[in-house]
Amino acid sequence: MRNFARCCAAFCVLALSGAGSAARCSEALTTNQPADSLSFVDLATMKAVAEIKIGGKPAGIALSPDGAKAYVTAPDSKELVEVDAVSRTVTRRLTLGGGPLGIAAHPTRPEVYVADWYAHKIFVVDTKTFAVIADIPVGQSPSGLAVTPDGRLLLSADRDSDAVSIIDIASRARLASVAVGKRPFGITVDSDGLRAYTANVKSDDVTVIDIAARKAVGKVATGRRPYAVALARGRGFVTDQYGGTVTVFDLATLRPLKAIDACDHPEGIQADGAEGNVYVACWGDDFLLRVNPDTLTVTGKAVVGDGPRAFGKFLR
Amino acid sequence: MLKRLAIAVAILGSLPALALAHGPSRQKVTESIEINAPVDKVWAVVGNFQDINWLPIVAKTEGTGGNDVNATRKLTLKNGGIVEEQLDKYDAEEHTYAYEITKVDVKVLPVNDYSAHITVTANGDKSTVEWKGAFYRGYMLNDPPPELSDEVALKAVTGLYKDGLAALKKKIEGGS
Repeated sequence: MRNFARCCAAFCVLALSGAGSAARCSEALTTNQPADSLSFVDLATMKAVAEIKIGGKPAGIALSPDGAKAYVTAPDSKELVEVDAVSRTVTRRLTLGGGPLGIAAHPTRPEVYVADWYAHKIFVVDTKTFAVIADIPVGQSPSGLAVTPDGRLLLSADRDSDAVSIIDIASRARLASVAVGKRPFGITVDSDGLRAYTANVKSDDVTVIDIAARKAVGKVATGRRPYAVALARGRGFVTDQYGGTVTVFDLATLRPLKAIDACDHPEGIQADGAEGNVYVACWGDDFLLRVNPDTLTVTGKAVVGDGPRAFGKFLR
Repeated sequence: MLKRLAIAVAILGSLPALALAHGPSRQKVTESIEINAPVDKVWAVVGNFQDINWLPIVAKTEGTGGNDVNATRKLTLKNGGIVEEQLDKYDAEEHTYAYEITKVDVKVLPVNDYSAHITVTANGDKSTVEWKGAFYRGYMLNDPPPELSDEVALKAVTGLYKDGLAALKKKIEGGS
C-alpha cells in the first residue's frame, strides 16, 4: 500500500492510470549556479518556460509543502531566497551568513532548514516571519538535508565528519551521529521514513541507513563522485559527477543494475513520486534529463540556464 | 574565537575587495579550436591518455593503465610542477575522455576538485577539439586571498586550454 500524500508531496497531482497510480509533478525548478538564475521546466513538454534572476550563485532548493514557494540557497551572497513559484518572482531574501548550501522544508511546520557548510550548524528559518529562529549544531560541513515524511526527524549529511546527524525536530536535539562512507553529500529518505541513502563523494558509494536503528546497514558502489540519490520503483538512482552516469541499484538487494550514460556532471536528482520518472540536473551540459525508471533509459531533455545544480527537492 | 576575529578584522582592513568575497562555487571553462585534419588523425594524438606531451607546459608524462578507466598519469611540468591525474571515462568511438586531477599544489594550478573532458568531433574533413573543465578555486573557505580567487582560477585554466589547443593545432597541422 502506498501513501501518496507522503511520496512526492501533496502538491503534485495524483494521477490514476490502470493498475498503478502515482504523484505527477508538473514542473522542475533548477538552480543554475553560474547563471545566477532559476529555470522552470514544464515536465509535460520538457521545455524550459521561464528563467528568473536569483543572484548569489544559487545551489540548494526546497519547496513549501503546497509547492507554491521555492526556497533557494545562495552560497555566494550567503542568503536564503524565497521564490513565489506560481508567479515566478523573488518575494523575500534573508542574509544568513556562513556558507548556506543544503536545504529542506518541513512537511507541515512553516520551517525550512539550511545547512551552514562553514559553521557546522543548521539554521532553522520560520517561513512566516522569514527569520532564523534556532541553530542546531551538527558535524563538520553539513551539506545535504532531508526530513522524514512524518516530520519528526531531520537528517544532515555532515560531509567532513563522514557521518549523518539525526535530529529531533521538535526539541532541536541531535539524537545521533551515524558513521557512513567518506564525504557524504546528498541525502534522501524513503517514502516510508525507514531508510536514508547518502551519496559519498570520496568513497564512490552510497550508504544505506536504518533510521530507527540509527546505523548503516548497507553499501552500494557507484561511479566516480556520487552527488545525490533518488528513489523510484524499488530502485535507487545516483548521479555520478565525474563518471557522467546515473548508477541504478535494487533497493531490496542493493545490487547494481545499470550505469546509465547521462551527461557531463549530473548533480541534483529527484523522482516524481515513488513510481514516476527521475529527473537529473546536468551541470556541465546545461540541461534537465528525464529518465524512465522502468526501462532505465533517457527519455527527454530540456535546455536550462548555465550550470544547473538543483541540490534538493526541485519538483512541484 | 577572539584571535580569529582579530585576524578577520586585520584582513578586512587590508583588502578592499573583501566586500565581494564569498564561499566557493564550481567554475566552468570551455574552449575549443578547429583543426584542419580529420577526426581520426586528431584523436590519434589527443586520445592517448598516457601521452599529453602535446601540451607545451608538460615535460614528461608517466602513467599506468593505458586508456582504461581508473588509469593514472603523472605530468612533470617544465617548471618542475607535478600534476597527478586519473581517467574517469574513455570512449574511443565518440572520441572523448574525461579525467580528474587527483593531486596538484595550488601553486602549480590554483584549483581544487578539477575534472575535465576532451572531445574531438568531425567537422567535414576538419575537426573541432573541445576542452571543458570544472573546478573550484584554490581556496575552499570563505574570503579567499587574492591569489586563490575564482578569477585567478578561471584565468589559469582558460590560459592553459587556449595555449594547449593552439599548440595542438600547430602540432597536427604542422605535420609533426
